[in-house]
Amino acid sequence: MTRPTAKEVKAMADVAGLPVDTDVATRIANSIGPAFDAFAAIAGTLPFDLEPSTFAVVQAEKVAK
Amino acid sequence: MSTEPALMSLTSVAKAIADKHVSSREVTQSCLDRIARWQPRLNAFMAIEAEGALKAADAADAALAKGIRHGVLHGVPLAHKDMYYEAGKVVTCGSRIRRDFVATTTETALKRLKDAGTIRLGSLQMAEFAYGPTGHNSHYGPVHNPFALDRITGGSSSGSGSAVAARLTFAALGSDTGGSIRMPAHFCGVTGLKTTVGRTSRAGAMPLSQSLDTVGPLARTVGDCAVLLGLMAGADPADPTAISGPLPDYVAATTGSVKGLTIGVPAAFYVDDLDAEVAGVLDATIAVFKREGANVVRVELPDQRQLSAASQLVLAVEAAALHKRWMIERPQDYGPQVLMRLQNGLAIPGVSYLEALRWRGPALAAHLAAVAEVDAVIAPVSPVPAPTIAESDVGNSPDADAVIQRLTRFTRPINYLGLPSLSIPSGFTRAGLPVGMQLIGRSFDEATLLRIGAAFQRATDFHDRVPQLK
Repeated sequence: MTRPTAKEVKAMADVAGLPVDTDVATRIANSIGPAFDAFAAIAGTLPFDLEPSTFAVVQAEKVAK
Repeated sequence: MSTEPALMSLTSVAKAIADKHVSSREVTQSCLDRIARWQPRLNAFMAIEAEGALKAADAADAALAKGIRHGVLHGVPLAHKDMYYEAGKVVTCGSRIRRDFVATTTETALKRLKDAGTIRLGSLQMAEFAYGPTGHNSHYGPVHNPFALDRITGGSSSGSGSAVAARLTFAALGSDTGGSIRMPAHFCGVTGLKTTVGRTSRAGAMPLSQSLDTVGPLARTVGDCAVLLGLMAGADPADPTAISGPLPDYVAATTGSVKGLTIGVPAAFYVDDLDAEVAGVLDATIAVFKREGANVVRVELPDQRQLSAASQLVLAVEAAALHKRWMIERPQDYGPQVLMRLQNGLAIPGVSYLEALRWRGPALAAHLAAVAEVDAVIAPVSPVPAPTIAESDVGNSPDADAVIQRLTRFTRPINYLGLPSLSIPSGFTRAGLPVGMQLIGRSFDEATLLRIGAAFQRATDFHDRVPQLK
């Protein structure tokens, strides 16, 4: 996963129905870029069968010290 | 008993009212007197309902005179963050958009506290739509820190932190999606409990992020938080995400010592790049726990930056989705920073959002494996004590991201994992600014955190310090 460019941000905002100008798109790209960078090692690596609800399953497991 | 009832703890004042050592009217008037003195300096209240509070206090006293006690908090006046719906009341959510919104339902935790006998003092300031970590609000002005009026309270539960610290209310509901209970607790020198995702109902609470939002109390003591959690927690037909099953006795948990418990100190991330005085408070806090008999060990946690990133991806998308209609119809009615942050969510692909949600289970499992040998992890809430209001008033400037990221660095990962975390007043800087530490527990194990926190408060007096109006 790579951080979106300002051009890509602008296109996505348009598709979302909330167009933004180039300055705002650049600001958004800079703002969310670090999160994409930090998550890059996880993105694209998750097992096929992994459900979001796994979180609730792990939460409910009794973990004793 | 203190000559000023408002200075008592929640637990003490509830008992004093029940024992008729003080009336609910005297207690309520004492809070209102302090509010009258402090509010012009703090801006902690969104609305003050003096007449209604005194009327309710008189009714509570009349009931008690007839031998009727509605609950364990009978006649205790409280105010809460202005995002908890109460039928018939305006709930602004700290926003211009909801300035005149009148709720038609009552939020579950609020209802349970009312059923326990509490009465309403008014509502408390907050960051606009709970989306801000500093305590600034471009519509209603910043909330001020009672320990230093030129300093921030932290957010988003800014009014809750400020009002509890100044002894204007005995406790307050806050909410924590990225640190919004723990940061005001840290900056304002009060106790704050971020609950496990699923521990408390969110029905009737303004949403920010369905996956991350939690409801919890800010109060003067760990014991007070235990009382409140015991009343608030548990299953709710109106919110299927609130888990069922028996609740621990949280108040009983606060009587235990830390002897035999193991507290983990992270080897990295939470101890990196700390303000020197925050680092000193962390060391001193660890020393207290050792002195009280806890075993303190180093723990190697998984990469917290990845957790923080995942938290940001989830929060940004869910907040944008919730606000999309208003972003289209009323963008001019948002504050600049909130609109800026909401716009971030537009640029995150659905696949990235779902990957962040799908990874949550494995990430939690990895964390629980890393802390398998400890009862709780201790970490600073924030790397710094309260910055000034002026230096953190960054709006939507290029500096905004840096300020937000620095303040929330140590809170976001915990929200992603959905874990409980108790912020306790742990010291003061030389300039008199409070510093809090967070105790991070296992899912649904708030009881152990309350046990450890209460033991710490029996050994220290940081939670007893009352700010003075100069």
